Amino acid sequence: MEDFELLRHVTIGQYLPTGSRLHRLDPRTKIVGLGLLLLAIIVHQAASGLLVGLLLVLGLVVLARVPLDFALGGLKPALPILLLLAALQLLFGWGLFSTSCHPLWSWWVLSITPCSVQAVIVLLARFTALILLTSLLTLTTTISELAHGAEALLRPLQRLGVPADELAMVFTIALRFVPTLAQQLEKLLKAQAARGADIKGGANPVQRTRQLLPVLVPLFLTTLRRGEELTLAMEARGYTGGPGRTHYFRLRFGTNDVLALAIIVVLAVGLFIVPFGAVDQHWLSLLVSIASH
Amino acid sequence: MNEPLVRMENLHHTYAGPRPVEALRGISLAVQEGEYVAIVGANGSGKSTLARHLNALLLPTRGEVWIAGLNTRQAANWREIRRTVQMVFQQPDAQLVATVVEEDVAFGPENFAVPEAELPQRVRQALETVGLWAQRQRPPHLLSAGQKQRVAIAGALAVHPRLLVLDEATAMLDPAGRAAVLDIVRQLQAQGTTIIAITHEMDEAAQADRVVVLDAGRLALDGPPRQVFAHAAELRALSLDVPPITDLARRLGLPVCLSADELVGALNNGFSAPPPAPLPDQGRASEATLPPANTAEAIIQVEALSHVYLRGSPLAAPALEGVDFAVRRGEIAGLIGPTGSGKSTLLQHLNGLLPPQAGRVVVDGQDLANPATDRRAIRRTVGLVFQQPEDQLFERYVGDDVAFGPRQSKWPPEEIRARVRWAMEAVGLDFVAFKDRLTMTLSGGERRRAALAGVLALRPQVLVADEPTAGLDPRARAEVLRIFQRLHEAGVTLVVASHHMDDIAALCNRVVALDAGRVFAAGTTREIFAQPELLQRHGLAAPPLADVASRLRAAGWPVPPGAWSADEIVQALQCRRLGPYLTTKAPRHQT
Repeated sequence: MEDFELLRHVTIGQYLPTGSRLHRLDPRTKIVGLGLLLLAIIVHQAASGLLVGLLLVLGLVVLARVPLDFALGGLKPALPILLLLAALQLLFGWGLFSTSCHPLWSWWVLSITPCSVQAVIVLLARFTALILLTSLLTLTTTISELAHGAEALLRPLQRLGVPADELAMVFTIALRFVPTLAQQLEKLLKAQAARGADIKGGANPVQRTRQLLPVLVPLFLTTLRRGEELTLAMEARGYTGGPGRTHYFRLRFGTNDVLALAIIVVLAVGLFIVPFGAVDQHWLSLLVSIASH
Repeated sequence: MNEPLVRMENLHHTYAGPRPVEALRGISLAVQEGEYVAIVGANGSGKSTLARHLNALLLPTRGEVWIAGLNTRQAANWREIRRTVQMVFQQPDAQLVATVVEEDVAFGPENFAVPEAELPQRVRQALETVGLWAQRQRPPHLLSAGQKQRVAIAGALAVHPRLLVLDEATAMLDPAGRAAVLDIVRQLQAQGTTIIAITHEMDEAAQADRVVVLDAGRLALDGPPRQVFAHAAELRALSLDVPPITDLARRLGLPVCLSADELVGALNNGFSAPPPAPLPDQGRASEATLPPANTAEAIIQVEALSHVYLRGSPLAAPALEGVDFAVRRGEIAGLIGPTGSGKSTLLQHLNGLLPPQAGRVVVDGQDLANPATDRRAIRRTVGLVFQQPEDQLFERYVGDDVAFGPRQSKWPPEEIRARVRWAMEAVGLDFVAFKDRLTMTLSGGERRRAALAGVLALRPQVLVADEPTAGLDPRARAEVLRIFQRLHEAGVTLVVASHHMDDIAALCNRVVALDAGRVFAAGTTREIFAQPELLQRHGLAAPPLADVASRLRAAGWPVPPGAWSADEIVQALQCRRLGPYLTTKAPRHQT
């Protein structure tokens, strides 16, 4: 019964210090690069192109020296829903009414068409690539680097009234207190158990949620009080918000960063220039001809 | 005449609200640059309110406050005032902002726009002063409470303040953490930083140049510690106390003493003839009055217990390694050990919250490893009170909260009511007066007692308490100790883990000492406290009077080995024909 200990695993944005090339890049490079790749993968439509994209992302995971199963861990919670979606898409004849999509197989209302096969590949490849990319960012970048990077990127927008400094501060403090809150919750659950409450691990989610209800009030109260104390401490330490602060953390944008960004831009643009649509058409017609024989 | 660093004139502060609270009622106080001032007072005497006027976190309702000549009422002065005065708060967790130690230390200087080229050097200097440069890349939540508090001090030092205010900054720390903070404070003072320290610990206050005593928002006493601690009776009336050494000196008829050196010196000087030879058998004699060690039956038996947190993951952390621990029916067993020694982990095994990974835990004849053992029944047999239990009150009303445990057991309502009444009365909270009070409106000491009642309402045979007196003022602390004493007399077995060696000394017959997950000493309280060097090596300390006793013994006074109480020392000295001599000598208190 290590029920209580599970809470110790709560870490948003697990960082895995392997010291790889990816780790050493400027956080701004990683944020912008991630943004570009995310955009490319979301916009891209061709199945073959997305498979290539997924391969590229897997290459990045290897480059970051992160164990593949560890990186794929983020996929696990979403897996049942993802598989359900894929099954629905596969079986309920996607594009049945378009002329190019004759069913390969059908029974009652269910049918599989080349287009649905394509759609399923698109769905799975895109989703996996997105999850891998985002966890790759947190696996290779510390919270504080992320906050400083985001702040630096937002700073030009300060003239338009975007409070870059404050946003970064809010982000850092939120993440700073996640483990503290988890510890507090663990303490409360144990205190309840010690007073005779029946707290069992592994029960169904409804039961688990119901066990959490009574501790929410004290958790909120202590959190509020912590918040008040923190505000006071920040004020005492001279924080007034807004610009006018100096920065201890120095961002360094080096040649490696230029190189990395250049490669990412080439790859992202490449995904659109290479006629993956035609490739898809080609293997889809191949699929149809195999099925008709 | 120079402008003092702090000048308060007729300072009043009233917290507004439906029932306004007058926290400060006319304080006039000046603190010169370079002074080390301790502020003491019972809970609610206005200490923290006073501190918050020092850096303009609060503004006077009436009267004025000047910091380095700047009036706190003018908002334009605040930035400069806060740069001059930095503050460290009681809760280490609530004042660290960043996710990395070094960046947290830089937070203050960043706010005051210290040039970026200068920041690394300031951070390094501050972290080296508190001895945490090696930890600079770690996230704060993985540090011990003592380390977090040192990070907070480093964060204040990096601003280069002229005045450092410590608001009960040592209340949550173990003896080693406390000693480290006090060392840093002395070092800073030697370098010219002015210090104002708010504390409940009288022996900490004794180290200051000046002690200011607050009572209900007014200055009660103000002077050098020697002078203030001569007023033992007045201090007791304010629910404060004098340091244990000062108290012993007074009972021996000596002038006010603030340190063990001074007391031993005073005794040696006062006694011109060579002191009589020590009697090595004295200790043994009083030992014999204790019940023989193994007659009573063990209600909890822990054998070769080991525990690893996050077992099997790359983050695995061993907390206990082969611990043996036994609690006998009806005794008060003590558990001591520095932060992170595994005390809390061990305590959580005693009621089955943590199952034994390796080794055996037997409670009231039931082996916890046996799947047939009812864990909830074990938790009713062994009541566990966590650290700061007042944070764990679940209900709005005191009565409901105390009834939480009994209600889980589905007893008839009369039975629940009877248990709640008994439990509240056992902790000195009147059932009728308190059952409908909101838990939020209780004072710190009352909240802790209510939390204790919540565990007692299950009528456990064993009560296990983790740091039951941490953060309480002297009066509330004495009250908790009295409650434990009464429970003991009523036949409840007690296990007390504490950083306060005085509490352990006052309550326990037997003590087990843990460090790094292993038992390094176990025995009678007397045996354990007779080894101050051993305790110190493991980040602990014997109670202050145990140190005095061993020094007196070394100087040839007939004090039994391992003595730690004032009664015992006074008695030992008097029965050696010193009594008449000591009592005829008039006390030379400077009043």
